[in-house]
Amino acid sequence: MSLEAFHHSEPLTLGVELELQLVNTHDYDLAPYAEDMLRLMHKTPLPGSVVPEMTNSMIEISTDVCHSCSEVLSQLTPIRDALVKSADKLNIAVVGGGTHPFQQWHERRIYDKPRFHELSALYGYLTKQFTIFGQHVHIGCPDADAALLMLHRMSRYIPHCIALSASSPYVQGQDTQFDSARLNSVFAFPLSGRAPCVLHWSEFETYFDKMTHTGVVKSMKDFYWDIRPKPEYGTIEIRVFDTPLTIERAAALAGYVQSLGAWFLHEQPFTPEEDDYLVYTYNRFQACRFGLDAVYVDPPTGTHMQLRDHILQTMDKIAPYAEAQGATGALQLLRADVEAGQNDARWLRDRQREEQMLAEVSRQASLKFRGA
Amino acid sequence: MNELMGFWGQWLRPSAGLPTVQWALLLAVASTCGYLVYRHTGLPKVVGYSIVGMVAGLLGFSGAQWPLQGIGLFIMELAISIVLFDAGGRIPWRWFRHNPMVLVQSIAESALTYFAVYWTMLWLNVPKEAAGPIALVAMAASPAVVSRVVADTRAAGPVTDRAMVLATLSTLYALTFGGAHAEMLSRPGSSFFEAVPPVLVMFGVSIVVGALLSGLIRVALRYMSPASENTSILALALIAASTAIAAHLGGSAPLAALIGGMLIKQLHVRPWALPRQFGTASSVLTMLMFVLVSTVAAQADWNLAIAGTVFTLIVVRLVAKALGVGIGNIGSGSSWRQSVWVGAAMMPMSSIALLIASQFMAASTATGEVISSIALPTILLMEVFGAVIATVALYRAGETHKPWAELPAAKSGDDQRES
Repeated sequence: MSLEAFHHSEPLTLGVELELQLVNTHDYDLAPYAEDMLRLMHKTPLPGSVVPEMTNSMIEISTDVCHSCSEVLSQLTPIRDALVKSADKLNIAVVGGGTHPFQQWHERRIYDKPRFHELSALYGYLTKQFTIFGQHVHIGCPDADAALLMLHRMSRYIPHCIALSASSPYVQGQDTQFDSARLNSVFAFPLSGRAPCVLHWSEFETYFDKMTHTGVVKSMKDFYWDIRPKPEYGTIEIRVFDTPLTIERAAALAGYVQSLGAWFLHEQPFTPEEDDYLVYTYNRFQACRFGLDAVYVDPPTGTHMQLRDHILQTMDKIAPYAEAQGATGALQLLRADVEAGQNDARWLRDRQREEQMLAEVSRQASLKFRGA
Repeated sequence: MNELMGFWGQWLRPSAGLPTVQWALLLAVASTCGYLVYRHTGLPKVVGYSIVGMVAGLLGFSGAQWPLQGIGLFIMELAISIVLFDAGGRIPWRWFRHNPMVLVQSIAESALTYFAVYWTMLWLNVPKEAAGPIALVAMAASPAVVSRVVADTRAAGPVTDRAMVLATLSTLYALTFGGAHAEMLSRPGSSFFEAVPPVLVMFGVSIVVGALLSGLIRVALRYMSPASENTSILALALIAASTAIAAHLGGSAPLAALIGGMLIKQLHVRPWALPRQFGTASSVLTMLMFVLVSTVAAQADWNLAIAGTVFTLIVVRLVAKALGVGIGNIGSGSSWRQSVWVGAAMMPMSSIALLIASQFMAASTATGEVISSIALPTILLMEVFGAVIATVALYRAGETHKPWAELPAAKSGDDQRES
């Protein structure tokens, strides 16, 4: 199968997907209610879509094509409200966060859909361990070459995205000491990590053809890269975000990505190169492990600095573009948290320190998601 | 030698007696049978317990007598109270505000069951005084059996949750109306107004004891973790005390526990973690309850007429429950397919039905005999086959840990673990 042609999209347009947890209101463990939620949600006219995910305690919502992060929020809000209403009707709750803090992976059941069963047959227990929850942000690119350029430029800011969205400190009832433990589950998949550093679509087509020739890959869906091109949408898709605890933060993160993209397009600030990736895995690990307190190694200079300082510096650089995109508020929301050393992982740990009961942390997270 | 015997004599104590030995051995056999049934068929352990109790009852085991009384009655009430306290704690009132159709579904299935069974009994020439109580006994689905089936199959999902809630609510109605009816039956000559005060006393005591129970546990949860073993022991001790007090003061112990569980769910919004810690103590009591129920129920006299009546009752009850769940299903957020399995999962009858029948027996021996002659065989059959039907329903609904198709593999015992 050859690679699909890169479709046209309006530059810097946004699309956001959120994978969400469905939990019961009894002990706040994951609850297999995806089918029921889908049935109820399809009765309500909404923007975007609601679709099943790998296991039947997960659900994925997505926006239509948006032009700004405020439009993202204006679409996510009615979807969230409808989700909450449907959940109330079923006596369950919807929760954000990159992992469910105490669910046991072996208790999960694969959602009844051919592709999920195929993946389960191939990956075995990894598919059940893939009961993790991420936010994907699509950003429109002018053309295919510009998309690859955008992708590799964005790679330098992957640690930023991880630290700002980190919300998965707990796995199987334990504090992992990571702010984002979710990405460790993604790493278990072959073809995860980074995309090959090619800057022209023709080269990427050659790479894709070689991969399909090996029989390892059939479509772009088989790549679990942190950022991947999405030719059918004319976008690149950033996939390292943990699902935040609120839709407001999800929209703000989309605004951050859009502002970065605008900066790249208008200033062409640097040309990505293979050597950028020398520190990629290290920076990624640091962000997952320490969140905003991570060390960031600047790829071109090798300078070490606090990730939170680099995030603030970047925010200063992209502030004018944020203003042009209507994302100033989004940046302010994120900036305030960075200055306070706060992210969702910190919030979850604070709650657990206070409550000493992860189920209660999940309950409070469900209230946070519904905007209570 | 004499000196030695004299010394030994100081240590001899009166034995607990042969009944204790008989019961201990019966429980040992039931435990083994439950395990083997579970391991080799995938059916819940409660089926094994009930079969052992049934065989013991049919063989004339005299360890438990009908009507229940004394320590046997207390153990039964205590086990039911623990189950109902947990079941009540799974009922959030806010759900009915967001989805009133669940309440409609519950009322529809209970009301339909009552009237369908009542009229069927009249049609089969059962006396009117006995037809009402039998209909009330039939109304109660068994949260005890459903919760054991759920635990053994490790089921979770919409059908499981709704079956548990509807079974608990049907129990609430049956205990409430059954208690009131039994009080009135025990005063045959009195007018309606003369019968009202004792009924109110029964409810009042149950509500006060339930409120006290939930209040005390709520206070404990302010300072103690719900995940702690000590909190669980405290809760178990308080449930035992409230069971004894409610029964002593003329209230209904199971009703008090159910009200206690429902109240604490409203007073304490945090996640419910107590029952997980109840552990082996409550498991032993529950097992004892199932064995006791089938042992007692097996003591009923069988004849062709009774068999026909019992069979008709079971069929009418099955149809009425399924129809009621179906009628209330409209707009309740559940699919038609799911409502069929919810109806099927509500088939079991067990300890609560036996306790209600026992109340009628205590209220009027003559009418109680008629009620028992039909209720006991029905309870016996529905404890065993109800559990099987509920298990099949949860498998078919796709909510068990292992899918239906993998059951034969489970028969080999490869991956069949204790829950």
